[in-house]
Amino acid sequence: MRMSERHIVSLLKRNRILLVSVALALFSLHLALTDRRDTTRAFVLKEALSAMAGPLQRAVLAAEHSIKGVWSDYIYLMEVKDENDSLKKTVLRLQEENNSLKEDVNQNARLKQVLDYKENAGFATIAAGIMGLDLDGWTKTITINKGASEGVVKDQAVISPFGVVGRVIEVNSHSSKVLVNLDVRSDIDVLVQRSRVKGVVEGTGGDGLTLKYIRQADDVQVGDLILTSGLSGTFPKGLVVGEVTKIEKSRESFFKYVEVRPKMDIQRLEEVLLVRDSGFFTQE
Amino acid sequence: MKESLLFLPLTVIYLAIKSTLFPAFPAPDLPLIIVFYMAYRKAGFEAVLLGFVLGYIEDAFSAGIIGSTSFALIAVFIAVNLFSRKVQFSTPMMRGGGIAAASAVKGIIIYTIIRASHAEASFLSTVVLQAVVTGATSPAIILFLSRITAWVSPQSFKDNVN
Repeated sequence: MRMSERHIVSLLKRNRILLVSVALALFSLHLALTDRRDTTRAFVLKEALSAMAGPLQRAVLAAEHSIKGVWSDYIYLMEVKDENDSLKKTVLRLQEENNSLKEDVNQNARLKQVLDYKENAGFATIAAGIMGLDLDGWTKTITINKGASEGVVKDQAVISPFGVVGRVIEVNSHSSKVLVNLDVRSDIDVLVQRSRVKGVVEGTGGDGLTLKYIRQADDVQVGDLILTSGLSGTFPKGLVVGEVTKIEKSRESFFKYVEVRPKMDIQRLEEVLLVRDSGFFTQE
Repeated sequence: MKESLLFLPLTVIYLAIKSTLFPAFPAPDLPLIIVFYMAYRKAGFEAVLLGFVLGYIEDAFSAGIIGSTSFALIAVFIAVNLFSRKVQFSTPMMRGGGIAAASAVKGIIIYTIIRASHAEASFLSTVVLQAVVTGATSPAIILFLSRITAWVSPQSFKDNVN
């Protein structure tokens, strides 16, 4: 090999990377500059490159779509949760309002009933609300929200549209205690509506009443309505007390044992009427 | 070789994401940074071929003129290879400046080819903005590249990564 040839080979070896780079650069430049004019030449390369890039880009877009979908669903669910919480609160508020309105409607109906009864009773009354009930022990009393200031006096009759409730046993300035007719200390002069047989109804301390002093020969039947006789002067005549539910005859006793179920349910009672007039003595 | 096998899929994933999710976003020019990184460290055939291939891949993803990016990257490779004999890109500042300049060279080349093809291109976004973004982000990206390079090919006494 001659000197000049060796020199050229050495130069080429030293700059081989540069030469390769220039060759590749020129190839690329040629391809770039002829890209638009000579479509067939770059066609294969373009196809190959797009075949590589296309699926990857589609995969990225699909992943983006999925992530966006999950995110938007999550946000949507969060909004739904907030909306759900808000709606739950609204439902609770509306339920409370509804309960309050129902209560008002019920109270209105009860008060109307009391008012109707009061207007048609034929005697003056004072309406009162029940503040408290003491029905658990042997005593059966209720506390009402009217007292001496409102004209309540001791032994005043307490009634309701459903029947006799009891009588006032204790009077305070703005409240009073009423002895319910279920109390063992309670006794009310009554008569049997159908046969006009008279007797006395006493509380049993439980949920019922007993009709006393009914002789074996007296005409009393199960189902008979028991009314106030007006003899004691406390209760007006003709108020419903209860209904006969059981009669026991005994040869050993002079009187019958008669059980009476009160017409009014003290547990459900919320308003009562106090009879203002006094002296309901009747003469039969 | 290991580096090329690592950088190639990394670039493909990067370009796939960039071209689909952030097509208008001025993202760093990763192929250019890789070529620069390879050129100033060990300018072998592997680096030239990687630049050549990365250029075509970038053209494929960006739907540009086939061959333009490859030509620009090889031109950058040659320039960096020649400059690295005179200038040491040893500090992040030097690398950032060098890469910004290389990006500007690449941008000018591509802009010229695009204009030569009678197509429209914005000099500001193709050259200036891309050079600024790539130069500013390159130190961090080169640090990342050197870390993963060290991870795939443990450093030997003679092989100075940076």
